[in-house]
Amino acid sequence: MNANELYALRERLLESRTLLCFNGPISRSLIEEFGNALKRYLELDQVKPAEAMDVFSVYIEMTQNIRHYTQSRAYSDADSAATVVISREDGHYVVSAGNLVENTDGLGLVERIQALAALDKAELRALYKTQLRLPRDPARPESAGLGLIEIARRASAPLQASLGAPIGERAFFSLSVVI
Amino acid sequence: MNDLSIPGTQSTPAIAADTNAGVLRMSGESYPENAYELFAPVFEWVEAFLAETDRPLLIELELLYLNTSSIKTVMDVFDLLESAHQRQRDVAVRWYFDQQNERIGELAEEFREDCTFPFHVIGK
Repeated sequence: MNANELYALRERLLESRTLLCFNGPISRSLIEEFGNALKRYLELDQVKPAEAMDVFSVYIEMTQNIRHYTQSRAYSDADSAATVVISREDGHYVVSAGNLVENTDGLGLVERIQALAALDKAELRALYKTQLRLPRDPARPESAGLGLIEIARRASAPLQASLGAPIGERAFFSLSVVI
Repeated sequence: MNDLSIPGTQSTPAIAADTNAGVLRMSGESYPENAYELFAPVFEWVEAFLAETDRPLLIELELLYLNTSSIKTVMDVFDLLESAHQRQRDVAVRWYFDQQNERIGELAEEFREDCTFPFHVIGK
């Protein structure tokens, strides 16, 4: 990338009031380090503790979802790259993240998120409570199945999910959450 | 049965279980990728304490943030307490939280709704 291109990227990030932007394979420790940076930026912005926790929580659930998915699909480092952007728009923080998924998984995911986006806070709370009481999936005992519901509960606007044009068997899935 | 003493990290809480005192304490943030694995010794300690003693059990929490994987696992521990309570065992939870951050108080309240044993949510 030459200086002009880099400058253009920088201007683009400044314009969209980006706090944090990352593209590449994510590890457990990277999620923690970026999480720390995020917490510090939110402190500097003097965000209320509850709102800061909403942003942090959505960031953690989204990035850990990507980690769990790419590991379960045994993707290579290059294919498990995540694109994560946290920015500020119209007085709200927006957490966006995307990654490659199998086409069929992506379609199911978008459908599930659209169903969550149609629920109000009381319905989400009820769904969360039901899911919390369900027995664990023996094949994936580490998964609570709560992540997307939690994300929807922390959002101040309906979740926005989309799936890009297929690239062979896969497609780029993205989710954007307004806090 | 052994006591537990697991130091906290950035993403995992400090865990201390004192068998003689009948107290389990957990404090800090909890967002490991696999909380099921992390909390396995805690679950086993609570199970063993309830099976091998007939003394009261107190769980004191000062958890500042939990990811959903941790929430599910903490619920599993509370379920153990709930069934012990049904058998007339003396069990209780005290969950301390910082009143500056209402989210963690709300989370503790949501847990409390599902429990019939003494469960105190204490703002500081």
